Amino acid sequence: MTAILYSPFRFLGRMIFEGIVGVGEIFWLLFQVVLRIPLARKNPELTIRQMVSVGVSSIPLLFITSLFTGAVAAVQSEYNFRGLIPDRFVGTAVAKMVFIELGPILTAIVLAGRVGSALAAEIGSMKNKEELAAYDALNLDPLRYLALPRFLAFFFMVPCLSVLSSFLAIIGGWFTCVIGLDISSYTYYTGLQYLFDDMDLFSGIIKSFIFGVIIFLLGYYHGLNADAGAKGVGQATMKTVVSSCVSLLVFDFLTAVVIFS
Amino acid sequence: MPNVTINSQDVMIQLKHLRKVFGRQEVLRDVNLDIRRGETMVIIGQSGGGKSVILKHMIGLLQPSGGEVTIDNITISTPKFFDTRTIRKKMGMVFQMGALFDSMSTGENIAFALREQNPQFSEEQIQNIVREKLELINLRAEFAQKMPAELSGGMRKRVALARAIALNPEVILYDEPTTGLDPITSDVINDLILDMQRKLRVTSVVVTHDMASAFKVADRIAMLYNGHIIQVGTVDEIKNTTNPYVLQFITGQRELPSGPGIDAPAAL
Repeated sequence: MTAILYSPFRFLGRMIFEGIVGVGEIFWLLFQVVLRIPLARKNPELTIRQMVSVGVSSIPLLFITSLFTGAVAAVQSEYNFRGLIPDRFVGTAVAKMVFIELGPILTAIVLAGRVGSALAAEIGSMKNKEELAAYDALNLDPLRYLALPRFLAFFFMVPCLSVLSSFLAIIGGWFTCVIGLDISSYTYYTGLQYLFDDMDLFSGIIKSFIFGVIIFLLGYYHGLNADAGAKGVGQATMKTVVSSCVSLLVFDFLTAVVIFS
Repeated sequence: MPNVTINSQDVMIQLKHLRKVFGRQEVLRDVNLDIRRGETMVIIGQSGGGKSVILKHMIGLLQPSGGEVTIDNITISTPKFFDTRTIRKKMGMVFQMGALFDSMSTGENIAFALREQNPQFSEEQIQNIVREKLELINLRAEFAQKMPAELSGGMRKRVALARAIALNPEVILYDEPTTGLDPITSDVINDLILDMQRKLRVTSVVVTHDMASAFKVADRIAMLYNGHIIQVGTVDEIKNTTNPYVLQFITGQRELPSGPGIDAPAAL
Protein backbone atom coordinates (compact mmCIF):
# COMPACT_ATOMS: atom_id res chain seq x y z
CA MET A 1 0.00 0.00 0.00
CA THR A 2 3.01 2.29 0.37
CA ALA A 3 3.45 2.20 -3.43
CA ILE A 4 0.89 4.99 -3.74
CA LEU A 5 3.13 7.24 -1.62
CA TYR A 6 6.44 6.47 -3.36
CA SER A 7 5.27 6.47 -6.99
CA PRO A 8 1.68 7.69 -7.26
CA PHE A 9 1.68 7.96 -11.07
CA ARG A 10 2.93 4.42 -11.55
CA PHE A 11 0.38 3.22 -8.99
CA LEU A 12 -2.41 5.09 -10.78
CA GLY A 13 -1.25 3.79 -14.17
CA ARG A 14 -1.23 0.22 -12.90
CA MET A 15 -4.70 0.66 -11.38
CA ILE A 16 -6.08 1.94 -14.70
CA PHE A 17 -4.36 -0.83 -16.67
CA GLU A 18 -5.64 -3.54 -14.29
CA GLY A 19 -9.12 -1.98 -14.43
CA ILE A 20 -9.18 -2.12 -18.23
CA VAL A 21 -7.92 -5.72 -18.23
CA GLY A 22 -10.56 -6.61 -15.61
CA VAL A 23 -13.39 -5.10 -17.66
CA GLY A 24 -12.13 -7.01 -20.71
CA GLU A 25 -12.04 -10.26 -18.75
CA ILE A 26 -15.56 -9.69 -17.40
CA PHE A 27 -16.95 -9.12 -20.90
CA TRP A 28 -15.09 -12.21 -22.14
CA LEU A 29 -16.66 -14.20 -19.28
CA LEU A 30 -20.10 -12.91 -20.26
CA PHE A 31 -19.48 -13.83 -23.90
CA GLN A 32 -18.31 -17.35 -22.98
CA VAL A 33 -21.34 -17.94 -20.73
CA VAL A 34 -23.83 -16.61 -23.29
CA LEU A 35 -22.31 -18.95 -25.91
CA ARG A 36 -23.21 -21.90 -23.67
CA ILE A 37 -26.86 -20.96 -23.09
CA PRO A 38 -28.18 -23.67 -25.48
CA LEU A 39 -26.51 -26.29 -23.25
CA ALA A 40 -28.62 -25.28 -20.22
CA ARG A 41 -31.53 -27.51 -21.26
CA LYS A 42 -29.34 -30.62 -20.81
CA ASN A 43 -28.95 -29.98 -17.06
CA PRO A 44 -32.10 -28.11 -15.98
CA GLU A 45 -31.71 -29.39 -12.40
CA LEU A 46 -28.50 -27.36 -11.98
CA THR A 47 -30.27 -24.14 -12.98
CA ILE A 48 -33.34 -24.89 -10.84
CA ARG A 49 -31.11 -25.53 -7.79
CA GLN A 50 -29.44 -22.15 -8.31
CA MET A 51 -32.78 -20.41 -8.86
CA VAL A 52 -33.95 -21.71 -5.50
CA SER A 53 -30.70 -20.60 -3.87
CA VAL A 54 -30.72 -17.12 -5.45
CA GLY A 55 -34.46 -16.52 -5.55
CA VAL A 56 -36.59 -18.48 -3.14
CA SER A 57 -34.07 -18.34 -0.29
CA SER A 58 -33.82 -14.54 -0.59
CA ILE A 59 -37.56 -13.95 -0.14
CA PRO A 60 -37.58 -13.73 3.70
CA LEU A 61 -34.87 -11.05 3.67
CA LEU A 62 -36.54 -9.13 0.83
CA PHE A 63 -39.86 -9.36 2.65
CA ILE A 64 -38.51 -7.33 5.54
CA THR A 65 -36.41 -4.84 3.53
CA SER A 66 -39.21 -4.19 1.03
CA LEU A 67 -41.95 -3.63 3.63
CA PHE A 68 -39.79 -1.09 5.40
CA THR A 69 -38.73 0.56 2.14
CA GLY A 70 -42.40 1.17 1.30
CA ALA A 71 -43.08 2.32 4.85
CA VAL A 72 -40.24 4.85 4.75
CA ALA A 73 -41.33 6.07 1.30
CA ALA A 74 -44.86 6.69 2.64
CA VAL A 75 -43.65 8.46 5.79
CA GLN A 76 -41.25 10.72 3.88
CA SER A 77 -43.82 11.57 1.21
CA GLU A 78 -46.44 12.47 3.76
CA TYR A 79 -43.96 14.55 5.79
CA ASN A 80 -42.58 16.47 2.81
CA PHE A 81 -45.94 17.06 1.08
CA ARG A 82 -47.93 17.78 4.26
CA GLY A 83 -50.21 20.76 3.71
CA LEU A 84 -48.96 21.19 0.12
CA ILE A 85 -50.87 18.57 -1.86
CA PRO A 86 -53.77 16.20 -1.13
CA ASP A 87 -53.12 12.97 0.84
CA ARG A 88 -53.81 10.74 -2.15
CA PHE A 89 -50.53 11.89 -3.71
CA VAL A 90 -48.72 9.95 -0.99
CA GLY A 91 -49.81 6.76 -2.79
CA THR A 92 -48.73 8.25 -6.11
CA ALA A 93 -45.31 9.17 -4.73
CA VAL A 94 -44.82 5.72 -3.19
CA ALA A 95 -45.79 3.97 -6.45
CA LYS A 96 -43.50 6.13 -8.57
CA MET A 97 -40.53 5.79 -6.21
CA VAL A 98 -40.96 2.08 -5.64
CA PHE A 99 -41.65 0.88 -9.18
CA ILE A 100 -39.09 3.06 -10.93
CA GLU A 101 -36.20 3.15 -8.48
CA LEU A 102 -36.46 1.80 -4.95
CA GLY A 103 -37.80 -1.66 -5.84
CA PRO A 104 -35.19 -2.59 -8.47
CA ILE A 105 -32.12 -0.88 -7.00
CA LEU A 106 -32.66 -1.86 -3.37
CA THR A 107 -33.46 -5.44 -4.37
CA ALA A 108 -30.27 -5.53 -6.43
CA ILE A 109 -28.15 -4.08 -3.63
CA VAL A 110 -29.62 -6.48 -1.07
CA LEU A 111 -28.99 -9.40 -3.44
CA ALA A 112 -25.43 -8.22 -4.15
CA GLY A 113 -24.84 -8.40 -0.41
CA ARG A 114 -26.56 -11.71 0.09
CA VAL A 115 -26.09 -13.88 -3.01
CA GLY A 116 -23.40 -11.95 -4.93
CA SER A 117 -20.97 -12.19 -2.02
CA ALA A 118 -21.96 -15.84 -1.45
CA LEU A 119 -21.22 -16.57 -5.12
CA ALA A 120 -17.74 -15.01 -4.85
CA ALA A 121 -17.05 -16.95 -1.64
CA GLU A 122 -18.28 -20.23 -3.17
CA ILE A 123 -16.25 -19.91 -6.38
CA GLY A 124 -13.22 -18.61 -4.48
CA SER A 125 -13.33 -21.59 -2.10
CA MET A 126 -13.80 -23.99 -5.01
CA LYS A 127 -10.73 -22.48 -6.67
CA ASN A 128 -8.65 -22.75 -3.50
CA LYS A 129 -9.73 -26.34 -2.85
CA GLU A 130 -8.93 -27.23 -6.51
CA GLU A 131 -12.56 -28.11 -7.25
CA LEU A 132 -12.43 -25.92 -10.36
CA ALA A 133 -9.28 -27.73 -11.51
CA ALA A 134 -11.07 -31.03 -10.79
CA TYR A 135 -13.84 -30.05 -13.23
CA ASP A 136 -11.19 -29.48 -15.90
CA ALA A 137 -9.36 -32.68 -15.02
CA LEU A 138 -12.61 -34.64 -15.42
CA ASN A 139 -13.08 -33.01 -18.83
CA LEU A 140 -16.10 -31.09 -17.52
CA ASP A 141 -16.45 -27.47 -18.59
CA PRO A 142 -16.73 -25.31 -15.41
CA LEU A 143 -18.39 -22.52 -17.37
CA ARG A 144 -21.14 -24.86 -18.44
CA TYR A 145 -21.71 -26.62 -15.11
CA LEU A 146 -20.94 -23.81 -12.67
CA ALA A 147 -21.21 -20.43 -14.38
CA LEU A 148 -24.16 -21.00 -16.73
CA PRO A 149 -26.72 -22.20 -14.12
CA ARG A 150 -25.77 -19.30 -11.84
CA PHE A 151 -25.95 -16.81 -14.70
CA LEU A 152 -29.46 -17.96 -15.64
CA ALA A 153 -30.57 -17.95 -11.99
CA PHE A 154 -29.42 -14.35 -11.48
CA PHE A 155 -30.78 -13.25 -14.86
CA PHE A 156 -34.29 -14.55 -14.23
CA MET A 157 -34.64 -14.35 -10.47
CA VAL A 158 -33.47 -10.76 -9.89
CA PRO A 159 -36.35 -9.30 -11.98
CA CYS A 160 -38.84 -11.66 -10.29
CA LEU A 161 -37.60 -10.60 -6.87
CA SER A 162 -37.62 -6.96 -7.94
CA VAL A 163 -41.33 -7.17 -8.90
CA LEU A 164 -42.10 -8.99 -5.66
CA SER A 165 -40.14 -6.40 -3.70
CA SER A 166 -42.02 -3.54 -5.37
CA PHE A 167 -45.39 -5.04 -4.46
CA LEU A 168 -44.27 -5.72 -0.89
CA ALA A 169 -43.10 -2.10 -0.64
CA ILE A 170 -46.51 -0.92 -1.84
CA ILE A 171 -48.06 -3.04 0.92
CA GLY A 172 -45.58 -1.57 3.43
CA GLY A 173 -46.58 1.93 2.32
CA TRP A 174 -50.29 1.10 2.58
CA PHE A 175 -49.86 -0.36 6.05
CA THR A 176 -48.01 2.75 7.23
CA CYS A 177 -50.62 5.07 5.72
CA VAL A 178 -53.52 3.27 7.36
CA ILE A 179 -51.91 2.63 10.75
CA GLY A 180 -49.73 5.67 11.27
CA LEU A 181 -50.59 8.46 8.87
CA ASP A 182 -54.36 8.51 9.04
CA ILE A 183 -54.71 8.05 5.29
CA SER A 184 -57.52 5.68 4.24
CA SER A 185 -57.00 2.60 2.10
CA TYR A 186 -59.23 4.12 -0.59
CA THR A 187 -57.17 7.36 -0.71
CA TYR A 188 -53.91 5.40 -0.88
CA TYR A 189 -55.28 3.09 -3.57
CA THR A 190 -56.57 5.91 -5.80
CA GLY A 191 -53.20 7.63 -5.36
CA LEU A 192 -51.41 4.50 -6.54
CA GLN A 193 -53.46 4.45 -9.74
CA TYR A 194 -53.10 8.17 -10.39
CA LEU A 195 -50.31 8.95 -12.90
CA PHE A 196 -49.40 5.24 -13.03
CA ASP A 197 -47.71 4.38 -16.30
CA ASP A 198 -46.95 0.81 -17.44
CA MET A 199 -43.49 2.06 -18.29
CA ASP A 200 -42.81 2.62 -14.58
CA LEU A 201 -43.10 -1.09 -13.94
CA PHE A 202 -41.39 -2.22 -17.15
CA SER A 203 -38.42 0.12 -16.69
CA GLY A 204 -37.87 -1.46 -13.28
CA ILE A 205 -38.03 -4.96 -14.76
CA ILE A 206 -35.69 -4.12 -17.65
CA LYS A 207 -33.18 -2.63 -15.21
CA SER A 208 -33.41 -5.72 -13.01
CA PHE A 209 -32.31 -8.02 -15.84
CA ILE A 210 -29.18 -5.88 -16.21
CA PHE A 211 -28.67 -5.79 -12.45
CA GLY A 212 -28.87 -9.60 -12.28
CA VAL A 213 -26.17 -9.94 -14.93
CA ILE A 214 -23.94 -7.39 -13.14
CA ILE A 215 -24.19 -9.16 -9.77
CA PHE A 216 -23.46 -12.54 -11.36
CA LEU A 217 -20.49 -11.32 -13.41
CA LEU A 218 -18.80 -9.49 -10.53
CA GLY A 219 -19.41 -12.33 -8.04
CA TYR A 220 -18.12 -15.02 -10.39
CA TYR A 221 -15.18 -12.92 -11.62
CA HIS A 222 -13.96 -11.99 -8.15
CA GLY A 223 -14.40 -15.60 -7.02
CA LEU A 224 -12.27 -16.83 -9.93
CA ASN A 225 -9.57 -14.31 -9.05
CA ALA A 226 -9.65 -14.91 -5.29
CA ASP A 227 -6.23 -15.31 -3.69
CA ALA A 228 -5.48 -18.36 -1.57
CA GLY A 229 -6.71 -18.66 2.01
CA ALA A 230 -9.49 -17.19 4.10
CA LYS A 231 -8.19 -13.66 3.55
CA GLY A 232 -8.27 -14.11 -0.24
CA VAL A 233 -11.88 -15.31 -0.16
CA GLY A 234 -12.82 -12.49 2.24
CA GLN A 235 -11.26 -9.94 -0.10
CA ALA A 236 -13.14 -11.44 -3.05
CA THR A 237 -16.50 -11.12 -1.30
CA MET A 238 -15.71 -7.56 -0.22
CA LYS A 239 -14.69 -6.60 -3.77
CA THR A 240 -17.88 -8.18 -5.10
CA VAL A 241 -20.16 -6.19 -2.81
CA VAL A 242 -18.32 -2.90 -3.32
CA SER A 243 -17.95 -3.19 -7.11
CA SER A 244 -21.54 -4.46 -7.45
CA CYS A 245 -22.99 -1.52 -5.49
CA VAL A 246 -20.98 1.01 -7.51
CA SER A 247 -21.76 -0.67 -10.85
CA LEU A 248 -25.47 -1.03 -9.98
CA LEU A 249 -25.79 2.67 -9.25
CA VAL A 250 -23.86 3.65 -12.40
CA PHE A 251 -25.93 1.34 -14.60
CA ASP A 252 -29.11 2.47 -12.85
CA PHE A 253 -28.29 6.01 -13.93
CA LEU A 254 -27.37 4.95 -17.48
CA THR A 255 -30.53 2.89 -17.99
CA ALA A 256 -32.65 5.69 -16.53
CA VAL A 257 -31.13 8.10 -19.05
CA VAL A 258 -31.73 5.67 -21.94
CA ILE A 259 -35.27 4.64 -20.94
CA PHE A 260 -36.69 7.98 -19.84
CA SER A 261 -35.11 10.21 -22.46
CA MET B 1 20.68 -43.79 -14.64
CA PRO B 2 21.12 -46.95 -16.72
CA ASN B 3 21.37 -46.34 -20.42
CA VAL B 4 18.28 -48.21 -21.65
CA THR B 5 16.85 -47.68 -25.11
CA ILE B 6 13.10 -47.14 -24.91
CA ASN B 7 10.82 -47.66 -27.88
CA SER B 8 8.69 -44.52 -28.40
CA GLN B 9 5.61 -46.78 -28.30
CA ASP B 10 6.50 -47.64 -24.71
CA VAL B 11 6.57 -44.01 -23.59
CA MET B 12 3.21 -42.82 -22.28
CA ILE B 13 4.21 -39.36 -21.05
CA GLN B 14 7.13 -37.35 -22.32
CA LEU B 15 8.27 -33.97 -21.00
CA LYS B 16 10.83 -32.25 -23.22
CA HIS B 17 12.72 -29.22 -21.89
CA LEU B 18 9.65 -28.23 -19.87
CA ARG B 19 9.89 -24.74 -18.43
CA LYS B 20 7.31 -22.85 -16.39
CA VAL B 21 7.43 -19.28 -15.14
CA PHE B 22 4.87 -17.70 -12.78
CA GLY B 23 5.36 -13.93 -12.84
CA ARG B 24 9.06 -13.52 -12.14
CA GLN B 25 9.49 -16.93 -10.55
CA GLU B 26 10.92 -19.69 -12.72
CA VAL B 27 9.55 -22.85 -11.10
CA LEU B 28 10.56 -25.37 -13.76
CA ARG B 29 13.78 -24.64 -15.64
CA ASP B 30 14.45 -27.60 -17.90
CA VAL B 31 12.52 -30.74 -17.04
CA ASN B 32 13.08 -33.81 -19.21
CA LEU B 33 11.27 -36.99 -18.26
CA ASP B 34 9.98 -40.10 -20.02
CA ILE B 35 7.31 -42.15 -18.25
CA ARG B 36 6.80 -45.63 -19.63
CA ARG B 37 3.43 -47.20 -20.30
CA GLY B 38 2.20 -49.17 -17.29
CA GLU B 39 4.88 -48.07 -14.83
CA THR B 40 4.50 -46.15 -11.58
CA MET B 41 6.76 -43.13 -11.65
CA VAL B 42 7.19 -41.24 -8.40
CA ILE B 43 8.40 -37.65 -8.57
CA ILE B 44 10.06 -36.52 -5.35
CA GLY B 45 11.35 -33.12 -4.35
CA GLN B 46 11.00 -30.38 -1.79
CA SER B 47 7.68 -28.71 -1.03
CA GLY B 48 7.11 -25.77 -3.34
CA GLY B 49 9.67 -27.14 -5.77
CA GLY B 50 7.23 -27.55 -8.67
CA LYS B 51 6.23 -31.25 -8.45
CA SER B 52 2.51 -30.50 -8.63
CA VAL B 53 3.22 -28.04 -11.45
CA ILE B 54 4.69 -30.93 -13.47
CA LEU B 55 1.56 -32.99 -12.80
CA LYS B 56 -0.73 -30.14 -13.88
CA HIS B 57 1.18 -29.87 -17.15
CA MET B 58 0.62 -33.57 -17.79
CA ILE B 59 -3.17 -33.25 -17.54
CA GLY B 60 -3.26 -29.91 -19.33
CA LEU B 61 -4.25 -27.69 -16.41
CA LEU B 62 -1.21 -25.51 -17.13
CA GLN B 63 0.41 -24.43 -20.37
CA PRO B 64 4.22 -24.52 -20.45
CA SER B 65 6.34 -21.39 -20.80
CA GLY B 66 8.85 -23.49 -22.74
CA GLY B 67 9.31 -27.03 -24.03
CA GLU B 68 6.53 -29.50 -24.75
CA VAL B 69 4.35 -32.18 -23.19
CA THR B 70 3.57 -35.33 -25.15
CA ILE B 71 0.98 -37.90 -24.06
CA ASP B 72 0.75 -41.21 -25.89
CA ASN B 73 2.82 -39.76 -28.77
CA ILE B 74 0.48 -36.75 -29.16
CA THR B 75 1.91 -33.32 -28.37
CA ILE B 76 -0.71 -31.66 -26.17
CA SER B 77 0.97 -28.44 -25.18
CA THR B 78 3.78 -26.10 -26.08
CA PRO B 79 3.97 -22.35 -25.38
CA LYS B 80 2.11 -21.76 -28.65
CA PHE B 81 -0.19 -24.77 -28.79
CA PHE B 82 -2.62 -26.09 -26.20
CA ASP B 83 -5.14 -28.82 -26.90
CA THR B 84 -5.88 -31.04 -23.96
CA ARG B 85 -9.47 -32.13 -24.56
CA THR B 86 -8.53 -35.27 -26.47
CA ILE B 87 -6.05 -36.56 -23.91
CA ARG B 88 -8.00 -35.74 -20.75
CA LYS B 89 -10.22 -38.75 -21.42
CA LYS B 90 -7.14 -40.89 -20.92
CA MET B 91 -6.19 -39.22 -17.66
CA GLY B 92 -7.52 -39.25 -14.11
CA MET B 93 -6.18 -37.11 -11.32
CA VAL B 94 -6.34 -37.44 -7.55
CA PHE B 95 -5.86 -33.97 -6.07
CA GLN B 96 -3.93 -33.25 -2.90
CA MET B 97 -6.99 -32.48 -0.75
CA GLY B 98 -9.32 -34.68 -2.77
CA ALA B 99 -11.06 -31.71 -4.46
CA LEU B 100 -14.43 -33.46 -4.11
CA PHE B 101 -17.44 -31.41 -5.17
CA ASP B 102 -18.77 -30.33 -1.76
CA SER B 103 -22.34 -29.80 -2.92
CA MET B 104 -22.67 -33.39 -4.19
CA SER B 105 -22.82 -36.68 -2.32
CA THR B 106 -19.96 -39.14 -2.62
CA GLY B 107 -21.88 -41.22 -5.15
CA GLU B 108 -22.79 -38.12 -7.17
CA ASN B 109 -19.11 -37.09 -7.18
CA ILE B 110 -18.24 -40.36 -8.87
CA ALA B 111 -21.31 -40.43 -11.12
CA PHE B 112 -21.33 -36.83 -12.33
CA ALA B 113 -18.58 -36.93 -14.97
CA LEU B 114 -19.60 -40.49 -15.90
CA ARG B 115 -23.18 -39.40 -16.62
CA GLU B 116 -22.19 -36.26 -18.51
CA GLN B 117 -19.68 -38.01 -20.74
CA ASN B 118 -21.71 -41.14 -21.37
CA PRO B 119 -25.28 -40.01 -22.08
CA GLN B 120 -25.99 -43.46 -23.50
CA PHE B 121 -25.64 -45.05 -20.03
CA SER B 122 -28.85 -45.70 -18.10
CA GLU B 123 -29.08 -44.52 -14.48
CA GLU B 124 -28.89 -48.16 -13.36
CA GLN B 125 -25.64 -48.67 -15.27
CA ILE B 126 -24.21 -45.50 -13.73
CA GLN B 127 -25.11 -46.64 -10.21
CA ASN B 128 -23.60 -50.07 -10.89
CA ILE B 129 -20.33 -48.44 -11.97
CA VAL B 130 -20.37 -46.24 -8.86
CA ARG B 131 -20.82 -49.33 -6.67
CA GLU B 132 -18.09 -51.19 -8.55
CA LYS B 133 -15.60 -48.31 -8.18
CA LEU B 134 -16.39 -47.93 -4.48
CA GLU B 135 -15.75 -51.67 -4.03
CA LEU B 136 -12.48 -51.32 -5.91
CA ILE B 137 -11.27 -48.84 -3.29
CA ASN B 138 -12.65 -51.02 -0.48
CA LEU B 139 -15.59 -48.82 0.47
CA ARG B 140 -19.11 -50.10 1.04
CA ALA B 141 -21.93 -48.96 -1.27
CA GLU B 142 -23.55 -47.05 1.64
CA PHE B 143 -20.74 -44.50 1.34
CA ALA B 144 -22.38 -43.25 -1.85
CA GLN B 145 -24.95 -41.42 0.28
CA LYS B 146 -22.44 -39.54 2.45
CA MET B 147 -21.52 -35.92 1.81
CA PRO B 148 -17.79 -35.05 1.44
CA ALA B 149 -17.92 -32.97 4.64
CA GLU B 150 -18.76 -36.16 6.59
CA LEU B 151 -15.63 -37.98 5.38
CA SER B 152 -12.16 -38.11 6.97
CA GLY B 153 -9.07 -37.03 5.02
CA GLY B 154 -8.22 -40.61 4.05
CA MET B 155 -11.77 -41.35 2.96
CA ARG B 156 -11.86 -38.22 0.83
CA LYS B 157 -8.71 -39.31 -0.97
CA ARG B 158 -10.16 -42.77 -1.58
CA VAL B 159 -13.36 -41.28 -2.99
CA ALA B 160 -11.25 -38.93 -5.13
CA LEU B 161 -9.48 -42.03 -6.46
CA ALA B 162 -12.83 -43.71 -7.18
CA ARG B 163 -13.91 -40.60 -9.07
CA ALA B 164 -10.65 -40.57 -11.04
CA ILE B 165 -10.98 -44.23 -12.08
CA ALA B 166 -14.70 -43.99 -12.90
CA LEU B 167 -13.89 -42.95 -16.46
CA ASN B 168 -11.41 -45.83 -16.94
CA PRO B 169 -8.32 -43.70 -17.50
CA GLU B 170 -5.06 -45.06 -18.90
CA VAL B 171 -3.05 -42.75 -16.66
CA ILE B 172 -3.70 -41.82 -13.01
CA LEU B 173 -1.93 -38.81 -11.55
CA TYR B 174 -1.65 -38.63 -7.76
CA ASP B 175 -0.83 -35.26 -6.17
CA GLU B 176 0.65 -35.91 -2.71
CA PRO B 177 -1.72 -38.82 -1.98
CA THR B 178 -0.48 -39.43 1.57
CA THR B 179 0.10 -35.86 2.76
CA GLY B 180 -1.76 -35.08 5.96
CA LEU B 181 -2.62 -38.73 6.69
CA ASP B 182 -1.50 -40.91 9.58
CA PRO B 183 1.05 -43.66 8.74
CA ILE B 184 -1.55 -46.44 8.72
CA THR B 185 -4.00 -44.60 6.47
CA SER B 186 -1.04 -43.61 4.28
CA ASP B 187 -0.21 -47.27 3.86
CA VAL B 188 -3.84 -48.01 2.92
CA ILE B 189 -3.53 -45.39 0.18
CA ASN B 190 -0.19 -46.87 -0.94
CA ASP B 191 -1.81 -50.30 -1.22
CA LEU B 192 -4.64 -48.80 -3.26
CA ILE B 193 -2.14 -47.23 -5.66
CA LEU B 194 -0.48 -50.63 -6.08
CA ASP B 195 -3.92 -52.24 -6.41
CA MET B 196 -4.93 -49.88 -9.21
CA GLN B 197 -1.68 -50.64 -10.96
CA ARG B 198 -2.27 -54.37 -10.73
CA LYS B 199 -6.01 -54.48 -11.47
CA LEU B 200 -6.35 -51.69 -14.02
CA ARG B 201 -2.86 -51.82 -15.58
CA VAL B 202 -2.66 -48.05 -15.64
CA THR B 203 0.34 -45.78 -15.89
CA SER B 204 0.69 -43.93 -12.58
CA VAL B 205 2.52 -40.76 -11.71
CA VAL B 206 2.78 -40.01 -8.00
CA VAL B 207 4.07 -36.74 -6.64
CA THR B 208 5.18 -36.98 -3.03
CA HIS B 209 7.78 -36.08 -0.46
CA ASP B 210 6.84 -39.08 1.69
CA MET B 211 9.80 -41.41 1.09
CA ALA B 212 8.13 -44.48 2.68
CA SER B 213 5.32 -44.09 0.19
CA ALA B 214 7.71 -43.45 -2.70
CA PHE B 215 9.80 -46.56 -1.98
CA LYS B 216 6.68 -48.72 -1.62
CA VAL B 217 4.77 -47.78 -4.77
CA ALA B 218 7.48 -46.75 -7.26
CA ASP B 219 8.81 -48.65 -10.22
CA ARG B 220 11.06 -45.67 -10.84
CA ILE B 221 11.71 -42.47 -8.93
CA ALA B 222 12.60 -39.05 -10.38
CA MET B 223 14.10 -36.33 -8.20
CA LEU B 224 13.19 -32.71 -8.96
CA TYR B 225 15.70 -30.19 -7.72
CA ASN B 226 15.93 -26.50 -8.54
CA GLY B 227 13.67 -26.85 -11.59
CA HIS B 228 15.55 -29.83 -13.07
CA ILE B 229 15.12 -33.59 -12.89
CA ILE B 230 18.51 -34.47 -11.46
CA GLN B 231 18.17 -38.25 -11.24
CA VAL B 232 15.80 -40.95 -12.46
CA GLY B 233 16.20 -44.52 -11.27
CA THR B 234 14.68 -47.60 -9.75
CA VAL B 235 14.05 -47.74 -6.01
CA ASP B 236 17.38 -49.52 -5.44
CA GLU B 237 19.25 -47.07 -7.61
CA ILE B 238 17.80 -44.14 -5.68
CA LYS B 239 18.51 -45.80 -2.31
CA ASN B 240 22.15 -46.31 -3.39
CA THR B 241 22.54 -42.90 -5.02
CA THR B 242 25.79 -41.00 -4.98
CA ASN B 243 24.09 -37.71 -5.87
CA PRO B 244 24.39 -35.53 -2.76
CA TYR B 245 21.09 -33.69 -3.38
CA VAL B 246 19.11 -36.92 -3.76
CA LEU B 247 20.86 -38.44 -0.76
CA GLN B 248 20.13 -35.36 1.33
CA PHE B 249 16.44 -35.56 0.42
CA ILE B 250 15.87 -39.29 0.92
CA THR B 251 17.70 -39.31 4.24
CA GLY B 252 16.07 -36.08 5.37
CA GLN B 253 19.23 -34.17 6.32
CA ARG B 254 19.45 -30.44 6.77
CA GLU B 255 23.06 -30.27 5.50
CA LEU B 256 24.26 -31.53 2.11
CA PRO B 257 26.09 -34.83 2.76
CA SER B 258 29.69 -35.24 1.65
CA GLY B 259 32.40 -37.84 1.96
CA PRO B 260 33.67 -40.96 0.24
CA GLY B 261 31.22 -42.44 -2.30
CA ILE B 262 29.26 -39.20 -2.65
CA ASP B 263 29.64 -37.01 -5.73
CA ALA B 264 30.66 -33.39 -5.44
CA PRO B 265 27.61 -31.09 -5.60
CA ALA B 266 26.99 -29.93 -9.16
CA ALA B 267 26.01 -26.32 -9.83
CA LEU B 268 22.39 -26.17 -11.08
